[in-house]
Amino acid sequence: MEAWVLLGSFFVLILIGTPVAYAMGIAALIGAWWIEIPLDAVMIAIANGVNKFSLLAIPFFVLAGAIMAEGGMARRLVAFANVLVGFIRGGLSLVNILASTFFGAISGSSMADTASVGTVLIPEMEKKGYPRDFATAVTVSGSVQAILIPPSHNAVIYSLAAGGTVSIAALFIAGVLPGLLLGLTLAIMCLFMARKRNYPKGEVIPMKQALKICADALWGLATMVIILGGILSGVFTPTESASIAVLWAFFVTMFIYRDYKWSEMPKLVHRTVKTLSIVMILIAFAASFGYIMTLMQIPMKITAALTTLSDNRYVILALINLLLLALGTLMDMAPLILILTPILLPVITSIGVDPVHFGMIMMVNLGIGLITPPVGGVLFVGAAVAKLPMEQVVKALLPFFGALLLVLIAVTYIPALSLWLPGLLLN
Amino acid sequence: MGHHPSGGHPVSRVLDLVYLACIWVAGACIFFMSIFIPWGIFSRYVLGTGAQWPEPISILLMVVFTFLGAACSYRAGGHIAVEMLTQRLPSSVQRPLRGVVHLLMLGVSLFMLWYGIQLCIGTWGQSIPELPWMPVGFTYLPVPVGGAVTALFVLEHILLGDQSRRAVVTFDHEPAQGAA
Repeated sequence: MEAWVLLGSFFVLILIGTPVAYAMGIAALIGAWWIEIPLDAVMIAIANGVNKFSLLAIPFFVLAGAIMAEGGMARRLVAFANVLVGFIRGGLSLVNILASTFFGAISGSSMADTASVGTVLIPEMEKKGYPRDFATAVTVSGSVQAILIPPSHNAVIYSLAAGGTVSIAALFIAGVLPGLLLGLTLAIMCLFMARKRNYPKGEVIPMKQALKICADALWGLATMVIILGGILSGVFTPTESASIAVLWAFFVTMFIYRDYKWSEMPKLVHRTVKTLSIVMILIAFAASFGYIMTLMQIPMKITAALTTLSDNRYVILALINLLLLALGTLMDMAPLILILTPILLPVITSIGVDPVHFGMIMMVNLGIGLITPPVGGVLFVGAAVAKLPMEQVVKALLPFFGALLLVLIAVTYIPALSLWLPGLLLN
Repeated sequence: MGHHPSGGHPVSRVLDLVYLACIWVAGACIFFMSIFIPWGIFSRYVLGTGAQWPEPISILLMVVFTFLGAACSYRAGGHIAVEMLTQRLPSSVQRPLRGVVHLLMLGVSLFMLWYGIQLCIGTWGQSIPELPWMPVGFTYLPVPVGGAVTALFVLEHILLGDQSRRAVVTFDHEPAQGAA
């Protein structure tokens, strides 16, 4: 009964349009009142929800990503990708995917990736003879890589939601192979489509110019070396490496590239304050929601219910995938990670799945959710950048969903994809 | 109702200042955090002193920008919400539902204000281990302050309508992206 009070009131609150963060807080208050817990306890949970050191990594990664995306880094990564794969048939679609791989290595935001890579490449692809809806579909599906390839602030949120039992470093390293697999799968599909539909080749960039472009892009890609190098060598904590990434992004943008106007800075700060506070307040209220959920032993009950349904881990993983996919189409990533991780993690560990591996399963699922209607933030941004109706983009996306589902199945049922690299590097 | 971006009701013009103050304080917090944490690294590896303060101070700054920034994001209509269902309802149902949501928002921000103050008072006597001079209650202050500002913005929304198109609020929109 008490579980229904908490989850039911949350569900109703969301359906009538209450902002998700505050809906979690209100539901937690209703739940606390129902099981006669003093409301002060809810207040303490909210207030303590955001004062954790590891959480500092989120603002830093988001800020670094914003500076690099807006400060001309995205354009240079596109140029760099163009040097590497532009001359192949269907080259620009590969450039698009590879640029997102690089972008993913400096930022964890699919939304920022779609906005910045899409703004450069969708018009360019159309000019060279690609249909605009295809260009948009490549952009939005390629941007899912950003969630997997480190640094990923969603991985930080997952680590937090898992109660700090999963290290951020392990999640970062674990994301590398699934991210690359995703990029590779999409690239192979684009190659086939390019051959069938006779999409154009680009030109080979002359050596001298190519070297200049590479040098330019390496300044940005050094970010990932700083972050991963710092974490792997133990010189920095993930949070510290994120703060260094901010300074580095600022330095490269303002003193190396020098095409970002100082007068644009206040706007960037305003935008970042909003993006960040939306995520952080979710985390604060989710803490109170999770607290009441634990008091009601909801995760335990759901584990018991799911494991009586089946004791086959493959079946349970399939069920969880379906659940994540379905919820992912309706809701944004951060709130789902925060709500579902504490519920599903006990289920997952009881059937012997590694929490790091499960983190990757969740990222791929919810990443797909970001580009699926009815609610898909990245899909919305992509359609807006391309100035296309959402339905048309979705139609062009259909084969890409197939590719993404293949990757999801691979990540779900081949644990080594997620666990081999961390095992190799972190022990 | 927001047709005059910078004008409107005098109360809204005062709240513009509150909005700007909050967003600049929040921005300053992010700025200083990005300097303090690297300073901590510098002091550990270069100076060899290993300063204790950058970590707790940065966490405090993060709490400040979370609660002040969230209030601003409310006024800008930025919070994540599911509007799929409500958008499809007839406007005769939409209006009262929106009223309910406003009242709930008001309720939860007043909860943050009242219980937040209680929490601050209750923990004022304790101090943070790394910073003996700082009362724990002080670190919780952003919660009631954020609650108060959110409550003001909710009341403004109820009495004077949506303010998300005011010039100070849309200042940071990118020209190319429009409504996205």
